[in-house]
Amino acid sequence: MEAIQTIELTKHYRSSAFKRNNIPALEKVSISVEEGEIFGLLGPNGAGKTTFVKLILSIVHPTSGTATVLGYPLGKRVLKEHCGYLPENHRYPGFLNALDTLLLFGRLNNLQKEDLTSKAFSLLELVGLKDWAKVKTKKYSKGMLQRLGLAQALINDPKLLFLDEPTDGVDPIGRKEIRDLLLNLKAQGTTIFLNSHLLSEVEMICDRVTILNKGKVVRTGTIAELTTQKLAYIIQLSSPLTQVSREQLQQTNLPIEYQDSNLIVSVHDKSDLNTIIDILRASGIGIESMNQQKTSLEDYFMQIMKGENSL
Amino acid sequence: MFRFTVVEAMRRGTLVFYFAISNIVLLLLALGISHPVNEPDIITIFGKPLARLSQIGLNVVDFLLIQLHSLSIFWIMIFGMFGVAGLIPSMLEKGTIDLFLSKPLARAELLMARALGAVSGIALNLIYFFLGVWLIFGLKVGVWHSGFLSSIIYVVYAFVCFFSVVTFVGLITKSAGFTIMLAFVFSIISWGLEVRENGLYKIWDNVVYHRFLDALYYLTPQLNAMLENSTRVIGKLPYIPNAPDFTFMPFVYSFFSTCLLYLLSIWYFSRQDY
Repeated sequence: MEAIQTIELTKHYRSSAFKRNNIPALEKVSISVEEGEIFGLLGPNGAGKTTFVKLILSIVHPTSGTATVLGYPLGKRVLKEHCGYLPENHRYPGFLNALDTLLLFGRLNNLQKEDLTSKAFSLLELVGLKDWAKVKTKKYSKGMLQRLGLAQALINDPKLLFLDEPTDGVDPIGRKEIRDLLLNLKAQGTTIFLNSHLLSEVEMICDRVTILNKGKVVRTGTIAELTTQKLAYIIQLSSPLTQVSREQLQQTNLPIEYQDSNLIVSVHDKSDLNTIIDILRASGIGIESMNQQKTSLEDYFMQIMKGENSL
Repeated sequence: MFRFTVVEAMRRGTLVFYFAISNIVLLLLALGISHPVNEPDIITIFGKPLARLSQIGLNVVDFLLIQLHSLSIFWIMIFGMFGVAGLIPSMLEKGTIDLFLSKPLARAELLMARALGAVSGIALNLIYFFLGVWLIFGLKVGVWHSGFLSSIIYVVYAFVCFFSVVTFVGLITKSAGFTIMLAFVFSIISWGLEVRENGLYKIWDNVVYHRFLDALYYLTPQLNAMLENSTRVIGKLPYIPNAPDFTFMPFVYSFFSTCLLYLLSIWYFSRQDY
């Protein structure tokens, strides 16, 4: 079942209260997020990532299109009872301490006070702020506020968690802890929707991603689908190439690189690959292994963005 | 949200300052005011009798209570109302409003809890001061002035009405500075509209202009009229000739204009993207 299903969701902002010209933020975005997965929304600044989340949570109103979230149409109050949200650049009242902040947001989530205090303490322990529970948040560092934000987003045991740059300002150890926490939540069945610029992190924890650019969906797929270059292979050889085999490979007119004991080949189809294997076999060169070449999500993202922006 | 806003309002520096001044005034009254047993018509403040006032026909207790009442309103206007006027814009700040709107809370509920929470911060301070004064006069002077006590209701009501303007302006401008400034301007306009027949009417002798001023008077909360009426339940000062009697009309008119402004605010807030 889909946790989020959007159909041609569109948002145009008005440039000012008195002007009619619209600024498109999202254009007919159709995204489907399965329950229990970690879904990443990627894109450069201004791509519409935050607007998308705000539309889902009714913080902004759609210009057109529809969506269902956890089976509810947009705008239903009950929908928000099952959602947690960590916005980018979130701000908490500086006169409250971490515990009071969690109690406030717990109460706003209609949670009963009796269960709330113990829940708040356990969340503060989970995000490593237990010793800071009674310290006013105005004394917190950026990383600590981010941890508090995460605890706030989890106060209602959400089925669907929206995180906008959750590791922003957090040190590497903290990042690892947050990643582990998210994977743990996923194991418990929570659907996680992640907006992030940190592509390496997205690659580590997301099951599927959508890349947005200028408000439009550019690509959607699993990390493996996006990072695997389908027609590029790495062939590990058990012995070096002979002069004859080199010449024969050159005659195929395929782009072939030779690095250490590896051949990196880009083929048009599988018959090209078979041709290369035949040449190697005929030359008596053994094949240790053969794998599809993978690229990093970051490289893939950059490649896509270059292609998009050059259009 | 309501309770949180009350706490936030009470922690505003200006309101804390008002609270401190209230305590100083109450302390001075408690220590200074007395009612000599052998001279029942005289009240003394730090030993100085206020008999002269009674000799010219003033009810000394009424006079003192009206002065304290007016002083309190002036101070709460300066330090209280303008202190909490920023509470609506502060809720709308990026990073804060996202958090509030992501919770299962109707926008109307959120806005009204915020507005009423802010007014409650003011109201609690006023009630504290008025009750303190009432108790001191009761215990030390022997006058349990019910009019003074009931004036709290009218003053708090006036501030609830006034805050509808502050809420509306805060939503539109999203700026604490602008909201405070416009709240101050409105309090002056309210006074100007109240005395328009002897002031603003004379600027331009035009019927349309006069009707426009009338419409503005009835379409906005009549802050000045309500506050003036709240003093009239305490007593009349004989040195103000032809002082009108207490009337409920400004409170009734303001009820409708306040409802209108709060409804407009809710409508506007519900339609906005944040």
